[in-house]
Amino acid sequence: MERITIKKGHDIQMSGVPAKNIESASHPTAVAYQPEEFRYTKPKLLVKEGDSVKIGTPLFFDKCMPDVKWASIGGGKISAIHYGYRKVIEKIIIELDKNEEAVENTAFDHREISVLSKTQVTDHLLAAGMWPMIRQRPYNKIANPEDTPHSIFISCYNSAPLAVDLDVALRNRSSSFQAGITALSKLTQGKVNVVVDETCTSNTFLDIKDAETHMISGPHPAGNVGIQIHHIDPLKPGKVVWTVNAQHVVTIGRLFLKGVFDPSLIISVGGSGVKNPTHLKSRLGASMETLTADRLQDGSQRMISGDVLTGKTSDKNDFVHFYESTVSVIPHSDKRAFLGMLHPGSGKSHYSLTNTYFSFGANSFPFSTLLNGEERAMMPINSWENVFPMDILPNQLYRAILANDVEEMEQLGLIECDEEDFALCSFACPSKIDIGSVIRQGLDILEEEE
Amino acid sequence: MKFLRKILDNLEPKFTKGGPLEKFHAVYNATDTILFSTDDKTESGPHIRDSIDNKRIMILVVVALLPCYIFGAINIGYQSSQFSGNERSVWENFWLGFGVILPILITAFATGAFWEVLFAVIRKHPISEGFLVTCALIPLLMPPTIPLWQVAAATTFGVVIGKEIFGGVGMNIFNPALVARAFIFFAYPSQISGDKVWLKVNGVSGATALAVPAAVENGNAVDLLTKITQFDYSWSNMFWGYIPGSIGETNKFLIIIGLLFLIITKIANWRVIVGALIGLFGTATLTNIMAPLSSNTMLTLPPHYHLVMGGFLFGLAFMATEPVTGAHTDKGRWIFGILFGALTVIIRSINPAYPEGTMLAILLMNAFAPLIDYYVVQGNIKRRMARYAAE
Repeated sequence: MERITIKKGHDIQMSGVPAKNIESASHPTAVAYQPEEFRYTKPKLLVKEGDSVKIGTPLFFDKCMPDVKWASIGGGKISAIHYGYRKVIEKIIIELDKNEEAVENTAFDHREISVLSKTQVTDHLLAAGMWPMIRQRPYNKIANPEDTPHSIFISCYNSAPLAVDLDVALRNRSSSFQAGITALSKLTQGKVNVVVDETCTSNTFLDIKDAETHMISGPHPAGNVGIQIHHIDPLKPGKVVWTVNAQHVVTIGRLFLKGVFDPSLIISVGGSGVKNPTHLKSRLGASMETLTADRLQDGSQRMISGDVLTGKTSDKNDFVHFYESTVSVIPHSDKRAFLGMLHPGSGKSHYSLTNTYFSFGANSFPFSTLLNGEERAMMPINSWENVFPMDILPNQLYRAILANDVEEMEQLGLIECDEEDFALCSFACPSKIDIGSVIRQGLDILEEEE
Repeated sequence: MKFLRKILDNLEPKFTKGGPLEKFHAVYNATDTILFSTDDKTESGPHIRDSIDNKRIMILVVVALLPCYIFGAINIGYQSSQFSGNERSVWENFWLGFGVILPILITAFATGAFWEVLFAVIRKHPISEGFLVTCALIPLLMPPTIPLWQVAAATTFGVVIGKEIFGGVGMNIFNPALVARAFIFFAYPSQISGDKVWLKVNGVSGATALAVPAAVENGNAVDLLTKITQFDYSWSNMFWGYIPGSIGETNKFLIIIGLLFLIITKIANWRVIVGALIGLFGTATLTNIMAPLSSNTMLTLPPHYHLVMGGFLFGLAFMATEPVTGAHTDKGRWIFGILFGALTVIIRSINPAYPEGTMLAILLMNAFAPLIDYYVVQGNIKRRMARYAAE
């Protein structure tokens, strides 16, 4: 077992951490896909409004990779399809039947899975409509089934603030998790790398076979798969690495063991905007309303599908995104402190990585959506570098992208980056620059050139 | 404060789009956000943000400068009482100095604010809080005898040429306050060449500490300094700041306090500081070794004298550490610091025309910072390309 220590980064001390137990959520009446999140794909519908679907019925496919289909995550009726600008599909909402039916596929036992070939595993996942669970780096997009990745990474450590605790979520899931890992190990000639937190005690991860376990210690973003790839099997041009969410590995494992697509998922609901934050037994694409019912604090809140650093702004009519298993709710604040810039600061009013406020020792700080300043030109006081644990110069990379200098972007290692790894830089930035969106802009340019 | 908030809220429609004072939105915005912290919200991830912002950084630098202002005022009074023969209390000294500093401060701020607002309105960018620091630094770099019109001219040059023509704070190449100082240094050398002391007393003249060894050949710098009877140029007195000089640079103790404050708040990067000290001590030791080979008395000046003489510490604390005009990489900051320290000693010792080397050393290093960064970045790229090529 390999140990990796990361020094740069920061664990944001936020209040509203989800309790380490699992409660059952009220049964959802509808689930949905929000296809805009599948970047660099061109979704084309296979169903129309009013169609009846089973769990596992293909709903849409990618025009660029026609083999890649998305299976329905619920059984019932397509109640609505929402379109956005230029007929972009925004939402496909499935109204659930009381007794959901599921498409039946071949089932295997553990021994049978271990002798499957790459083609068999690929075809099985494609046919079941679960291929989109496998993503690739660079670009953090859906993997091309024709590629052979150098290795596969599964991060079993979620270091983001208020994120779902994978130790909790995968409790009693070791059999399915193992089956998923075995199946995935057929897809690469390299290793399946399972990365766990240093303090991890869960046997689900530690006793894993057909994979190599790595222990990582350090603050966020140590749990980000991009950081783990950088330290274990770094990317370079032409090299492809695949990643799968730990909970999706369980779903994949169940597909092989039981022959059905089981959309159940543990989702955490946290943040200072909710009462008794906890983990909920829910499912893929669950509606925000079901998850936050009777849990919201009074006052104006922002619901986020995902963690507070990288999640997407949502409201109660939205659904949890496919790759997310965290819901965060934080309050809006309209407080405008008189001469706020002269405030000495305290653990209750200010939270800062620099010592510019007397806020050190602040634990469990109730963050709001305040920007705490205005956007300004870059102030290079190392605020980005101090929380960015990669051998990459974020400041220079950012400027190369703004200058549209493709050659320099590549030389500075943009190919190894993803916007989520820069979220902490934006958090810490005194000039309130959103670096992640610029990194994505750069990746878009490189992707288009390929 | 609800009353003030109400006034601002009532005024807002006049300054927003379509209002009669739309053009001056930047002025409204600056007033509004200086008085009350903003309630701007995040739109997408990251949904939460650190409490620090540029306003806080700038105001803390101004806070770090305040002790220098207070001592500067006391010292102006003290120096004049030394030569006019009037015994005065510290308090009286302070008020005398305060009367000298206040007009300079007001002139600097009024001029700076005028240009900042003008550019903000024409170029349609928000008023940058950086001008607070620039305008707070300029008076501290001036001798107390400076005519106010020169302060206005210097501030204009510093703000416009040093900053605004590059696009404002964050885009400037040179430190605007130092550009201001350099402007009057070269434009009005008879008043501010730095070799004569500046006292708020008529008819007294003498040499500054740095000009003493520079004026004599084949001497020993420390001996010469102790021989001066007009001023007390002992090491400890220069450290505690009871010597004539620019308003803010004399008390090294308070500057070190301000510097520590900036390091603790992570605004100033310690690498520049350690680098500069290494550069200064290393080069001064070298000149001491070479001193017997030359008739240049400055070469005999020991490193710890270099440290407390002239504006070195002040420049180091508040201008070399300025993040925008310095190097932007950690390795670059080391090189920047070391070369700054070395250049200060070299300019002071080898070029007798410029007894104060700090200002020119920082400006030179500002000009070289992008080049230093370029090589550091190339090093990073080379390492990555080697890895890409391997395997």
